[in-house]
Amino acid sequence: MYEVLFWFLTIMAIGCALGVILSRNPVNSVLFLIATFFAISGHYLLLNAQFLAVVNIIVYAGAIMVLFLFVMMLMNLNADVEPQKSRLAQLAGMIAGGVLFLVILAALRTASLSVLDKQSNDIGLIKNLGKVLFTQYVLPFEISSVLFLSAIIGAVVISRKEEVHSTVADGSVNTSDIK
Amino acid sequence: MKAIIAATISGVILMFAGILVKEKKNAVTLAVILLLALLGVNIYEVVSTPAAAPQAFFNNMLRIDRYAVWFNTLLTGCTLLYVLLIGKEIAKVGSHVAEYFALICFILCGLYILSGYNNMLMLFLGIEIISIPQYILAGSDKKNLKSSEASLKYFLMGAFSTGILLMGITLLYGATGSFYITNFTFLQADSLNVLALAGIILVMIALSFKVSAAPFHMWTPDVYDGAPTAFTAFMATVAKAAAFIAFLRLFQVAFGSLSNSWTLVLSVITAATLFVGNITAVFQQSVKRMLAYSSIAQAGFMLFAVISVNAIAWQGIIIYAVAYSVATIGIFAVLLKLKDYTYDGFNGLAQKEPTLAFVATIFLLSLAGIPLTGGFMAKYYVLSAAMQQGHLMWLVIFALLMAAISVYYYFRVIIAMYFKPGNPELNSPVTQTDKFLLILTCAIVLLIGIFPQLFLSV
Repeated sequence: MYEVLFWFLTIMAIGCALGVILSRNPVNSVLFLIATFFAISGHYLLLNAQFLAVVNIIVYAGAIMVLFLFVMMLMNLNADVEPQKSRLAQLAGMIAGGVLFLVILAALRTASLSVLDKQSNDIGLIKNLGKVLFTQYVLPFEISSVLFLSAIIGAVVISRKEEVHSTVADGSVNTSDIK
Repeated sequence: MKAIIAATISGVILMFAGILVKEKKNAVTLAVILLLALLGVNIYEVVSTPAAAPQAFFNNMLRIDRYAVWFNTLLTGCTLLYVLLIGKEIAKVGSHVAEYFALICFILCGLYILSGYNNMLMLFLGIEIISIPQYILAGSDKKNLKSSEASLKYFLMGAFSTGILLMGITLLYGATGSFYITNFTFLQADSLNVLALAGIILVMIALSFKVSAAPFHMWTPDVYDGAPTAFTAFMATVAKAAAFIAFLRLFQVAFGSLSNSWTLVLSVITAATLFVGNITAVFQQSVKRMLAYSSIAQAGFMLFAVISVNAIAWQGIIIYAVAYSVATIGIFAVLLKLKDYTYDGFNGLAQKEPTLAFVATIFLLSLAGIPLTGGFMAKYYVLSAAMQQGHLMWLVIFALLMAAISVYYYFRVIIAMYFKPGNPELNSPVTQTDKFLLILTCAIVLLIGIFPQLFLSV
């Protein structure tokens, strides 16, 4: 049963990932990507990491991809407006990507990875995850708040209207908004 | 560790000051006060950190030693100098002055993490903490299309390179089962672990992007040219030094014993960086864009410290980071005084503003690496670190050749200032305070060149 599920999810993940890059229509690409996320979440479940699986579906497949889909549909992209890359750039990209693929393939072929014991493994349960997060990884957890703070400041600085104070000849201050 | 907390608190204070402080001048003053306090905290850390063993914090997430704290102190000093010299210009960029300073404080927090991290997670967080504020600062001049372009370009490329970094970290974790850089046990066990080597290469590519090494430098000229000049001065100096200390730390501490496998790749990157940076800088017409390419070229020299796995390399990066930062901040402060950023804009500056022209000459001489200036000592240290490795002779000779080429484009500015007639237009009058600060900066550059030991003693 486990084997069957594993192979089903693996084929689904790889097939959908290929669909993302091969389909001409960007909307189809996004839908394929959502399917890929579901397949990967299935893998997480097989590894007994329920929390990760649920978060992956809620955050990625749910929130981010739906937002992505909206943007895609609003921008109304299709094959005609897509910028054409030159043949040389395409070839260079193909070679570079192919070489990376080859290297990683070679790396994984010879690698001796320690296999996770799926029976006794319950690290992915929310209770254990929370414990690790607040003991061993408490510093990265807290420091990431600095990252979010700077992102919030960025959102405010970039999206707020600039108020320009221009002094008129008689000395009074005139405030006008510039878009 | 105290410095990380202090930098974060300073950032938060400045963030809230954005609501309360209406006068732009007061925001600059507040930033100067907070940076002074931050410098004080750093000096306290230098005194209180034991010289021998590094201190481990939070399950070994950070291992902070005297060296790291000293590096932080010097770069905090550079930031203070930057705010004193360029603070007025920062206030002119937009209306969110306090927020810009808050972002600068967060970048300093990232720097403190990067100089002492011991875990790949902290490396990732540190790199992101210095990157995200930079994307924002690059796009802070919202009315300028080039600034927005710079921000978007930097953000997209930066996000992509972060993806590569994460992929590299994943492969390294797969190969070793650990995130701790001092625990990378595969180094001794089997040195031909292909999974780990692929991880090292991916991490190297991502970090090369962050320090703008060729062939991952494409974003640099557009971003540094498009971003408001006041922020380019910070992005090209302190933020870049932060990325470099992370690069150095990872490759010396974690991958040092494996250097046979990556030295060749990194020396090709170094040679390419030196070549692209120097040759392209020759053809620029704008001084600001020339400085962007020169920052690529200088990154090539700093990469020498990363390649050489020895003690001089650690000293070299500290001297190089400070000498390059101080001189670059100085030359940007001069550039900000001028209306026209082309070479012709500098014509006749020596007649109109002799002090400005004189200090600019010292900064440019330092960047070119002329003896008695800080730049010479910096180049001397990083190149002698490479010499000690033995097999990098060809790269050292190539670097000297490239340094000779760099003299051409730095001297073009000096020739324009002293030997060409003209009447350069100034943005704002040069006050006595400006002159004093510029001469102080100039004195620091000369001090590094004459007594480099002062900056190495920890």
